[in-house]
Amino acid sequence: MQNIRSLTPFFIFAAAYAATALLVTNSYYQLMLTMVLVWACFGLSWNVLSGYTGLVSFGHAAFFGIGAYTTALGQIHFDLSPWFLIPVATVLGGISGLLIGFPTFRLRGVYFALAMLAYPLALLYVFEWLGYQEVTLPMKRDTPFAYMQFSDHRIYTLIALAMLIIFVLVTRWLEKSRFGMALLAIKQNEAAAEAAGIDTLAWKLRAIALSGAIGGAVGAFYAVVLLVVTPISVFGMLVSAQALTVTLFGGVATVWGPVIGSAILIPLSEILHAELGHIIPGIQGVIFGVAIVVLILAAPEGLFWKFRDFVQHRWPGLISTSAEAAVGAPVTPLLKETRQGPVTRGNVILDVRNLSRSFGGLKAVDDVSFSVREGQVLGIIGPNGAGKTTVFNLLNGFLKPDSGKVLLDGKDMVGRKPHELCAAGVGRTFQIMRPFARMSVTDNVVIGAYVHAADDAEARRLAVDAIERVGLTAAANRIAGELATIELRLMELARALAGKPRILLLDETLAGLGHTEAETVIGVIRKLASEGMTIVIIEHTMQAMVRVADHFVVLDHGAVLVEGPPQAVIKDPRVIEAYLGKKWMAHARS
Amino acid sequence: MTVQLVENVLQALAAGLLVGAIYGLMCVGLALIFGVMRVINFAQGDFMMLGMYAAFYLFGAFGIQALFGSALGPYVAAILAGPIMFAVGYIIHLTLIARVTGTRTAAEAEGHFAQLILTLGIALILQNGGLIVFGSVLAGIQTPLSSSAWEIGPMWGDFLSVFVNKSRAISAFLSVAVIIALTLLINRSRLGKALRAAADNPEAATYMGIDVDVAHRIAFALGVSITAVAGGFLAVNYPFQPFVGLEYVIIMYAGVVLGGLGSIIGPFWGGMTIGLVQQLSTLVLPTQLQNTAIFVVFLLIIFLRPQGFFGRVAERT
Amino acid sequence: MLEVENITAGYSGVPVLKGVSISVGEGEFVSIVGPNGAGKTTLFKTISGTLTPMAGSIRFEQSDLLSTPPARRPHLGIAHVPEGRQVFPSLTVMDNLELGAYTEAGRRDWSRNIERILAWLPVLAERRNQLAGTLSGGEQQMLAIGRGLASSPKLLMLDEPSMGLAPAIADFIFEKLIEIRREAGLTILLVEQRVAEALEFADHGYVLEAGRVVLEGTNEALRADDRVRQAYLGM
Repeated sequence: MQNIRSLTPFFIFAAAYAATALLVTNSYYQLMLTMVLVWACFGLSWNVLSGYTGLVSFGHAAFFGIGAYTTALGQIHFDLSPWFLIPVATVLGGISGLLIGFPTFRLRGVYFALAMLAYPLALLYVFEWLGYQEVTLPMKRDTPFAYMQFSDHRIYTLIALAMLIIFVLVTRWLEKSRFGMALLAIKQNEAAAEAAGIDTLAWKLRAIALSGAIGGAVGAFYAVVLLVVTPISVFGMLVSAQALTVTLFGGVATVWGPVIGSAILIPLSEILHAELGHIIPGIQGVIFGVAIVVLILAAPEGLFWKFRDFVQHRWPGLISTSAEAAVGAPVTPLLKETRQGPVTRGNVILDVRNLSRSFGGLKAVDDVSFSVREGQVLGIIGPNGAGKTTVFNLLNGFLKPDSGKVLLDGKDMVGRKPHELCAAGVGRTFQIMRPFARMSVTDNVVIGAYVHAADDAEARRLAVDAIERVGLTAAANRIAGELATIELRLMELARALAGKPRILLLDETLAGLGHTEAETVIGVIRKLASEGMTIVIIEHTMQAMVRVADHFVVLDHGAVLVEGPPQAVIKDPRVIEAYLGKKWMAHARS
Repeated sequence: MTVQLVENVLQALAAGLLVGAIYGLMCVGLALIFGVMRVINFAQGDFMMLGMYAAFYLFGAFGIQALFGSALGPYVAAILAGPIMFAVGYIIHLTLIARVTGTRTAAEAEGHFAQLILTLGIALILQNGGLIVFGSVLAGIQTPLSSSAWEIGPMWGDFLSVFVNKSRAISAFLSVAVIIALTLLINRSRLGKALRAAADNPEAATYMGIDVDVAHRIAFALGVSITAVAGGFLAVNYPFQPFVGLEYVIIMYAGVVLGGLGSIIGPFWGGMTIGLVQQLSTLVLPTQLQNTAIFVVFLLIIFLRPQGFFGRVAERT
Repeated sequence: MLEVENITAGYSGVPVLKGVSISVGEGEFVSIVGPNGAGKTTLFKTISGTLTPMAGSIRFEQSDLLSTPPARRPHLGIAHVPEGRQVFPSLTVMDNLELGAYTEAGRRDWSRNIERILAWLPVLAERRNQLAGTLSGGEQQMLAIGRGLASSPKLLMLDEPSMGLAPAIADFIFEKLIEIRREAGLTILLVEQRVAEALEFADHGYVLEAGRVVLEGTNEALRADDRVRQAYLGM
C-alpha cells in the first residue's frame, strides 16, 4: 500500500498529462505527446536491465525492432489485430531477452556492452536482406477500432499513457521486491551478491526477459502509431541510444528517470527539428548531443538524483529514506556472555582436505587440510600473503581449487557456485568491505536474508533480527555509504548472519579497528559463538584472536605451518619467526 | 568452372587483404585509446569521418592536388589529416574526456557509465554537426588510380589472373607503413614506454613520475589521429557522408575484440581478419549479409575467446 | 627531510589515518610497523599523492608536497616501491628499470645507476629481456626496488617488501637493502610486518594502530617495549 502511495506524484502527473492530451487537437503535437510516452516506456525497459544491474546494454533496439516487426508482419501476412499482436510482441521480446541473455551474461563490463551492440545491427541487415526495407501497415478503414487505427490521435496518447502506468507499476514493484534488491546488489557488487546467496545469473536472466518484454511491447505499439517500419528506424543504433539517453538524462535506476528524460528531450528535439530542421538539418542531433555532454559533466547520474541530492542537502528530513536515526548513535552493543568453560564440540561440519591452488607459478594455497567442528571457533592466522583469503575464496566458491576437497557435512562442494554454497550454509564477510553503499543498513542485510526467506516480509524479519544480534539496531536506517568502519564491519557480519549460515567465514573482521572498537566486535563474535555458531576467522595478528578462537591454524606461504590450541601456537618458535623474523628470535634469546 | 571458383577466391582474398590492412590501421587507433585509457570511445567512427573530410578538403582546397598531383595527392592529404586530428583529439580530451576519466575518477564505478555516455554525446554532435557543415551529399576523393589495377598472372596457362586495384594497394601499403612506425614508437621511444606503463599500471606509473593524465591525453589524440588517417585512406576508395562512422565503428570494435582488448598491435590483425571475412563472405552470402557475417564472427569471438587472438589476459584485475 | 604533520586521510569519507605525524631526517632509516588496516599503505599513498588527505600537511625538503601534483613528486627525489611490487607486467625488466629512470635525475645518472643496480641485484641482469610479469615474486620485488633506485631518489619508500616471500628471500632482500643503503647513503622509510628486520637497522620507528601512532622511539626503545610484540602475538 505504501508502495502505491509513494506513487502519488506519478499519478498526478499522469492525470495532468491525460488532461493536456485531451485538450490538444493539433495532430502534430498530439503525436509528440504520444512519442514522449513511447520513449519513456522504452527508457523504462532499458532501465530494468541496465539501470538496476549496471550492465550497460547498447542493443535494446533488438527488442524494439522485434516488437515493431511483429505487429507489422503479423498484420500484413496474417491479418491479425495489434490488440493481439502487442501481447505477442511482448512475449517474443521476453523470449529474445532470454535467448540473448543466456550466452551474453557470461561476459562482463565492456564485453557485455559490445556484444549487445551487435545483436540489433545483425538483425537490421537480416531484415534488409529479407526485403523488409519499408513495411507499411495496411489501412483498415472499415474496422478502425479492431486494428487500433484511430483517426483521433488522442486515443493513442491515452493507450501509451496506460502502458506507461503499467510499466511504472511493474518497475516500482520490482524496485521494492527482492527482484529489485537482487539487481541493485548485483550492480553494486556482484561478488558480494553471490556470496550473500543471490543466484546472480538467474536474476539477470529474469531482468533481461522483463526488459525485453517491455521493449517488445513498446516497439509493437510504435509500429501501430507510425504505420511504417524500416530496419534503420527500429533496429538502428539511434534507437538503442534513445533508450539510454532519456534514462541517463532523467536518472538511472529510478522509475522517474526515463519519464523526466523523455518529457524534456523528446519535445526539445522535435521542436528543434520542426523549427530549424529545414534550415539547418541535423540541428536537433547536435543539441541532443550537447545536452548529453553538458549533463554528463554536470550531473553524471541524471537529473533526478541531482535534484534529490540537492533537496536532501538543503532540507534534510524531507525525504524519508535515510532521515531517521541519521544522527550517528554510538555503537555499544549490550551483550551478555553466556559461554562458560571449554566448548563442547559437535560433529565435523567442514572438512578441508589437501586443498591446493596456484596462480601462475605461485602456489597460493599448498596442500592445506583442516577441519571445523560444530560450535567451534577456528582462527586461521598468518602473515600477509600467506594465502588466508585465498583459502576463504576456495571455501565459498569464488575460486576453484586445482586439487583437494571441501566437504560440507561430508558432501564435496568443489565446483559449486558461491550462492549455492551460501544456501548450503556458508556465510562470509570480506577483508575489503563490500557494502552496497547506496542502500540502508537494513536493505544491505535484507539482501543476505533472501537465501532462506520465503518472502519479503520474512527476509525483513530475519534482517532486523540479525541487525539486533550484532547490536546495530540504532543505525538500521542509515545509508551504508556514511557508516564508520566498525559499523560497516558489524553490518557485514549481520548480512552474513541473516542468511542463517551454519558456518561463518570472517575475513579480517578486526582490521583497521582501534582497540575499543575491536573489543566491541570481539564481544559480538564471542556472543555468536556462545549461541552455538560455528565460526572460521582469519586474522593477521594474534592479539585479539587468542581470546576468540578455540583452535589455531597458522598458514605461511600457502601451507599449514602449525596447528593447535592458541596458547601453544603463540609460543611456537616457528610462528614467532614467521611474524617477527629470525632476528627477533636471536635478539630475544640473547 | 573450378578455375573460375579459384579465381574468385583469390580475388576476394586479395581484396580482403587490402581493405583489411586499412581496417587494421583503423582498429589500432581505437585499441590505443582503449589499451591505455580503458575507455570505450563511441565517437571513434565519427573521428574517422572527420579524418575523411579533413583529407577531402586538404586535397581539394590546400593546393595538395596541385603540389603532388591527383594520383598521389590524396594519400598525402590522408596522412596530413593525422596531425590535424591529433590536435582535435587532444583538445577534446582536455576539455571533455579528462573530466570523466583518468586518475581522478579511477576509483569510482560510476565513472564508467559517464565515459560511455559522454562519447555517445560527442558522436551525436559530430555526426549531426557534420551534416550541417558538410551536407548529406556523398563525397569522395577522386584519384585516377582507383580505376586501374595491376594484373597478377595469368597463372596456370592463360586461365587465372587476379586484379589488384592500384589505389587500394597503395592505401594498404601506407597503412602497413604507419603501423610499423607506430610499433617502433610504442616499443622503442620513451614516450611509448610511458604510455605502456600508464596502461599496465597507472598507479605505479605515477610513482615513476609519469603524469598519467597527460599520457591518456596523448594516447587519445594519437588514437584519434591514427583512425583518422585510416579514414583518409578509405575516403580515397569509397564514398562517404557524415554518418559513415556508424558503419565502421562496429567493424572497429569487432577488430579490436578479435585482436585482443588491451593489446595495441594485435587489433591490426583483428582488422585484417574482418576485412577478409567481409570479402570472402561475398562468395557465399548475398552482399547485404556481409555485415551480418562480421557480427556473427564478432559474437563468436567474444564468446569463445574474449581475450582475442593476440591478447594475453585482457582484463586487469 | 620529510615532515608529515597531522594527516587525516581515508577512502570515500571514512578516515583511515587519524592525525598521523611522522618525520624522517636526512640519511635516516625510519620504520613503521603495525597490523593490517592500521593505515600504513594509506600513509604511503598520501605521501606519493595517489590519495589526497582530508587534513594535515606534508613537507619534503623545501617544498609543500600537498600542493605538488603526484606525478611531480618523484622528480623531487621520492621513490615509492609500492605494496605488492606492482611492476609493469607486460614490459621487460630493462624497460621497467628505464621507466624507473623517468625522472630528470634518473635520466642524468642512468649509466651510473644501471651499473650499480645490476651489480647489487645481479638477477635483474640475467633476466633483463624477460617480461616482468613472468618473474617470481622475489625477483619482482628486486625489480621494484631496482626500479625505485633508478630514479636517483633522495628518499626511498618501501611498502612491505617481504610480503608473500619465502623467509630466505625476504632475508636476502633485507640484506641487500642494508648494503644498498650503506653504499648509496639513502634515506629510507620502510613499512614492514616483519618487526625484527624493520627495527633492526632503523634509527627510529613508529607503531601505527587503527590510524594513529601509538608508539614511537629509537630502535632499542621499541625493541624493548613489549607492546610491539603484543601487537602481533597477543602476549
